[in-house]
Amino acid sequence: MAVDRRLIFHINWQLIGLTCILFLAGVLNLYSASGYRLEDGMSVSPYYQKQLVWGLMGMVGMLFFMLPNYRHLKTMAWPLFWFTCLLLIAVFFAGKTIYGAKRWLDLGFMNFQPSELAKISMLIVGARILSKEKEPLNFTRLAYVVGVGLIPAAMVIRQPDLGSGLSILLILGGMILYRGVTGRVFKTMLVAIPALLPLSWFFLHDYQKQRILTFLDPAKDPLGSGYHILQSQIAIGSGQFWGKGFLEGTQSQLRFLPEKHTDFAIAVFGEEWGFAGTMILLFLFCYFLYQMVVIARDAKDLFGSYLAAGVFFYFFWQILINMGMVLGLMPVVGIPLPFVSYGGSATLVNFCLIGMVLNVSMRRFLFK
Amino acid sequence: MTRLTSQSEQQPPRQGLILLQLLVLGLFCLFALRLWYLQIHRGEDFALKARENQLRQEAIFAPRGLIRDRDGELLAVNEPAYALGLVREDCRDIAGTLVQVSQWTGVPLETLRETYAKRRLRVKPFEPLILIPDLTFEQMTVFEANKLDWPGLEIRIHPRRKYIHGELMAHVLGYVAEANEAEMKKIPELALGDDVGKLGLELMLEERLRGDKGLMQYEVDVNGRRLDARILQQPRAGYEAVLSIDLGLQSLIMDWLKDEAGSVVVMDADTGHLLALVSSPSFDSNSFTAGLSPEQWAQLRDNPKHPMQNRPIQSAYPPGSVFKQVVAGAGLANDMLDPEETVNCTGAMKLGNHVFRCWRWRYGGHGKTDLEKALTESCDVYFYKLGKRLGVDRISEYAKACGFGERTGIMLPHERSGIIPTREWKRRTRGERWQGGDDLNLSIGQGFTLVTPLQVARFVASVINGGRLLKPELLKDRKATVQRMLPSKPQDLQLLREGYINTVDAPRGTARRLRTKGVVVGGKTGTAQVVRLTDELRDLEDDEIPYKYRDHAWMAAFAEKGERKYAIVAMIEHGLHGSSGAGPVVKAAIEYLFNGKILKKKE
Repeated sequence: MAVDRRLIFHINWQLIGLTCILFLAGVLNLYSASGYRLEDGMSVSPYYQKQLVWGLMGMVGMLFFMLPNYRHLKTMAWPLFWFTCLLLIAVFFAGKTIYGAKRWLDLGFMNFQPSELAKISMLIVGARILSKEKEPLNFTRLAYVVGVGLIPAAMVIRQPDLGSGLSILLILGGMILYRGVTGRVFKTMLVAIPALLPLSWFFLHDYQKQRILTFLDPAKDPLGSGYHILQSQIAIGSGQFWGKGFLEGTQSQLRFLPEKHTDFAIAVFGEEWGFAGTMILLFLFCYFLYQMVVIARDAKDLFGSYLAAGVFFYFFWQILINMGMVLGLMPVVGIPLPFVSYGGSATLVNFCLIGMVLNVSMRRFLFK
Repeated sequence: MTRLTSQSEQQPPRQGLILLQLLVLGLFCLFALRLWYLQIHRGEDFALKARENQLRQEAIFAPRGLIRDRDGELLAVNEPAYALGLVREDCRDIAGTLVQVSQWTGVPLETLRETYAKRRLRVKPFEPLILIPDLTFEQMTVFEANKLDWPGLEIRIHPRRKYIHGELMAHVLGYVAEANEAEMKKIPELALGDDVGKLGLELMLEERLRGDKGLMQYEVDVNGRRLDARILQQPRAGYEAVLSIDLGLQSLIMDWLKDEAGSVVVMDADTGHLLALVSSPSFDSNSFTAGLSPEQWAQLRDNPKHPMQNRPIQSAYPPGSVFKQVVAGAGLANDMLDPEETVNCTGAMKLGNHVFRCWRWRYGGHGKTDLEKALTESCDVYFYKLGKRLGVDRISEYAKACGFGERTGIMLPHERSGIIPTREWKRRTRGERWQGGDDLNLSIGQGFTLVTPLQVARFVASVINGGRLLKPELLKDRKATVQRMLPSKPQDLQLLREGYINTVDAPRGTARRLRTKGVVVGGKTGTAQVVRLTDELRDLEDDEIPYKYRDHAWMAAFAEKGERKYAIVAMIEHGLHGSSGAGPVVKAAIEYLFNGKILKKKE
């Protein structure tokens, strides 16, 4: 199959470039975050190498998602959605239990987490439904869209995996806001959501309540659950303007910082590269998000636009929640920072979704 | 038109696009502000904290103050002990390590897991968490040979208290053991794993013995290796305590009491210093320091002779005839007793339809008896009559003025005050009126009255030192503290003192066995009934009476030569008779004190 030259011409090269820069910065940071282990002669897996391998696989996945015209996704949306739901049911009956949660399907060669797939298929189905809505959503339409989203979300929360379940709802919620709702719906939600939020307290597990309490007063238990929050703030803050330099971070090198290669990876970055480094990284993330807004704006059709908006929210929430947590603005929630935190399947999914928006951007001038 | 509509339908929602852009802008502003706050505004604070993290500080143990006897003989010292610690951060497999430690040391895995779970909240991840406070030499060897395979385990040296005469001094010194939660809360200087005084002088002098910990600061490299250790503050050793106890005397007395339950107090009558404070049976202080096993504890707890009881201050007994000097003192102080006046003792006295016997009733009593004879031969009838005349109010008031019924204030924990009954006391505790018979019992030291051996020693000392009631002291450098003066005229005290002396010197005196050449010795025997003897028990030979029904034996004595005056009180539980039961050990103490002789107990 000969590739249309215009396709290559219209690819959003800026997004590709940003993705690569962010990914490489992440790998570099991981090298620092796990470097001491190697010097020590202890045989702990070198995370940065693994992350590189996953990144290469991710790029293959990205290409795979770029090549076929994304309009095929429109026809595949519902079948994919129901297939995902089936897998979630399968997890419920035949899933593998790790650490008390049933989240995995054993595929023989690897463990597969259907909740990851659920985020993607939610995004695609959401784009399909919303692109057909002619008016801003009224209560009936809103109930329908949210109802669809609740099917996989509820099943994921039951696993239990509150984080992923809420992610699904947040992605869908973001897309709904992008579509727009009627003035009445908007006003009602403005009142109802803050009013109902405290009720959710009663549905939280004890450890989740503990995290929220610790967030409100980390000094109360500086060696226990407040440890993460305090140490990550010390790490970032002590970087000051220019940072301590690559591989020079005392907080991370001396192991005061917990989870430093996964959820708290940006704390290592902040300590070693300082305010100058974190501002550049923050700017890159924002520019990266802005490029997806551009793609959503320029998309050839509404479906493509909503797809881009969905992917936008997929990344937006992760960045907001992860950085909010590490910077001490939010309770500790186990959500990684895209491209910076270590994580194999997350990296793979990230690249695939970038591939999907690139697909939208490169076909913006093609007619059906 | 149609085309336009369809195109506008194909247009992405304008407001949505604005929303997305605002979200990106908001995200940027929010985190830019927060990063500015953390890294610029508070950057220096956090840099300081990071530096503190990197620089680790460690306490240096201060040696606990040594304890010596009056001649400088060491009683309590510190020696190094080897503890096994676990540094969580360096340990790859904590569960597995615990299993291995359990195999090496024989400590049950459950116990180790419990220790670990309890302490992990209080110990930082890079600090050693003490799993085993005390490794034996064999365990150390095994560990040293294998330590390369078990990163995270390390041996920590810390000082441990050692009592050179663990059993001899246990009731005086007490012991130290690892501080518990409550103690750590109360004393902020204590850290997890520190020892703290739990009993005896170790407890009462805790603050002074402890000393001040030093502080060491060191930098750690990437691997946690220490660099640049620097001492910020030198540790200061604790106060060295020199006791008034004479180790030789203490151990001589302990030998005499070997198979008995009882106590002996030897007090310098001028200063209140205690030269011996013996409680038998005893326990070994060292067994607590190393951590008592449940079996050892059960053994101590279930021993019928209660080795943990510090008898001279914690056991209150009926004083028996030892109390007669007090009753005589009360009579003299109230001007209701003429020493010349005689009473005819026929061996018993009738009150209502109850007969109160004298101990010599079998031999027809003491006959005509004045105060001197009554004290020397311990005539009960004489004191029944005196007691009846005085009544409980006067006797109790005087006894309290002599320090009975209250704690002596000795520097040891859990002292008991004993009981001096009053009308009010009987109404409150028994719900009964005070009866005439109670007066009679009180006057010979039976009935409700309970006194501790230390109280008796303090009273005897005050009789021979001019009426000064002294606080008993255990530390050599403490000056005498006069708590109050006995409410008796000097000539009355002289009469009481002569009563003691005659009891030793007179041909029919009950304490004749104390006579010592060249030493003025006085004494009063006492036989305290444990149960009201039935006639069948009364007729038995001494060694046929079951141990627990045998009378307690008292000997309250003093000995003086020139400036040196000592009050010596022995109390032997179930020792049968004052003179034969409690006398010999007092005699041995006198020989030791004045002639430097060591009298061995005859087997």
